[in-house]
Amino acid sequence: MTDKINIQNVAKLAAIKLTNEEEQKLEKDLSMIIDHFAALSDMELPDGNISIHPLGLPLNLAEDTAFKFLSHEEALSNAPESKDGQFVVPPSLD
Amino acid sequence: MTNYKLSISKINELFKNKDLKPSELYDEVFERAASTESIIHGHLTLFQDENIKKAIDSDKRYADGEELGVLDGIPIAIKDNINISGHATTCSSKMLSNYISPYDATVISRLKKQGTLFTGKTNLDEFAMGSSTENSAYGPTKNPWDPSRVPGGSSGGSAAVVSAGSAIASLGSDTGGSIRQPASFCGVVGFKPTYGTVSRYGLVAFASSLDQIGPITNNVEDAKLIFNSMKGQDPLDATSIKETNVPQPKTENAKIGIIKELMEDGISEDAKLEVHKVAKLLESQGHEIVEVSLPITKMSISIYYLIAPAECSANLSRFDGVRYGNRISGSTSYEMMEATRAAGFGSEVKKRILLGTYALSAGYYDAYYGQALKARAMMKKEFTSVYKDVDYLISPTTPSDPFKFGEKSDNQLEMYMSDLCTIPANLVGMPAISIPTGLSSNGLPLSVQIMSPANTDNTLLDFSQSLEEIVSFSEVPSMIGDKK
Repeated sequence: MTDKINIQNVAKLAAIKLTNEEEQKLEKDLSMIIDHFAALSDMELPDGNISIHPLGLPLNLAEDTAFKFLSHEEALSNAPESKDGQFVVPPSLD
Repeated sequence: MTNYKLSISKINELFKNKDLKPSELYDEVFERAASTESIIHGHLTLFQDENIKKAIDSDKRYADGEELGVLDGIPIAIKDNINISGHATTCSSKMLSNYISPYDATVISRLKKQGTLFTGKTNLDEFAMGSSTENSAYGPTKNPWDPSRVPGGSSGGSAAVVSAGSAIASLGSDTGGSIRQPASFCGVVGFKPTYGTVSRYGLVAFASSLDQIGPITNNVEDAKLIFNSMKGQDPLDATSIKETNVPQPKTENAKIGIIKELMEDGISEDAKLEVHKVAKLLESQGHEIVEVSLPITKMSISIYYLIAPAECSANLSRFDGVRYGNRISGSTSYEMMEATRAAGFGSEVKKRILLGTYALSAGYYDAYYGQALKARAMMKKEFTSVYKDVDYLISPTTPSDPFKFGEKSDNQLEMYMSDLCTIPANLVGMPAISIPTGLSSNGLPLSVQIMSPANTDNTLLDFSQSLEEIVSFSEVPSMIGDKK
């Protein structure tokens, strides 16, 4: 894999606005890292027992019952903007 | 008289015998902070005034013979990515400069129940991404052994404050070596438990399949005490696990494997010599030393730097200027998010989010992230196979002694190589400990790393304690003065 990274597209997907200077530097840095991955990408590997839990264990899901956690006020206490007990955000569309 | 380098059990004995009060130790630790913080910058915040009443409460419990346990009155520092209710959790990021946690992490609530005191929150590489603490938005931490050198990272602040004596112990988090590497650089003990044995609830997530909270201490006995006080399944962390009975490695006449691939290119002569020195000491105690090969460990850096950034790109998507953290205004929600994340994240965090986003994007997923998952499964298989023949594995903790500020910041791959020896334990989920064993030719601390199979944490700690006794490393930074 030696595809050139499209830094503007990746930044858009990641929702991070980059300056021109950052774009140039990150494109160079990320290309170097991705080149380093070539040996791994080219390896023949069996499918194996892929698991998200490093010990291969199932997730230990909690009982589906209500319990006391944060109050409404506590949940909103760090919000940059809130009103009437809700988070306030700019409109989704212009 | 100084008490800040005594073991927790010794301090507890002094408390019980009324030879020392928790409030006196608390004052002593803050006096150390007053004389060392201007040099090392290990703490981001100090809780001295808020917690002195808690220290006096602890005095009363000991006076009445009603102490809550061996950790009652022990001042511990907490990495600033672990939530303590009512206190800031900045993750050393501008993004969270104004965040006050409304809840306790599970490890904090468990320690509070035992009367543990907290000295404050410690510095880290932003969102725990780094190996030198140079990536903190609030300035780097310096190494107490030589302030021109890095303390390691990401838990550099937690390691430096224990080394300097401004906390009796600390908590760090370890995603690819972030407890063990700074512990090694600062000449203290760092322990990463088996994945899932300690709840991650309340730890700000970096890479959820790799992150684990653990202690940084002056000795192995303290690490064991703190680990056993925090461990246990937690309904608030779905990945936490019940204690499992598995065959335990031997502690007498054990077989120990030196990992061949972690003694080759990229490892300094000093670090190799340290492993051979410790191996000889172990042999003299009746243990058998063999060389083992784990070929996939050569791919550790690539596997880790695909999986960790992929998980980080998902975990850090929560910092969008909506529910918490800072916000930069925009005319639409997307513009607000883009601007907020541009202003809030530092360059290393942006780089890893973008790398993870790329590795997970359409057309590249199978070649990168999918391939890394397959390689991780193969690594697990290789380690499982090797543990059929040996009880423990040994390697250097770090490829070299602590490096100078700026020495690796222009060469990202060289910086990433700092974690070469520590990453496999996170990828496989096994416990691993770093134990200081000697000094390099520069007079700086060197450590060895011991690893064992998953769920053998206490046996690994017992074995490490016996190794610590035969090594009897007693050097301390010159700012401490006398040896331990």
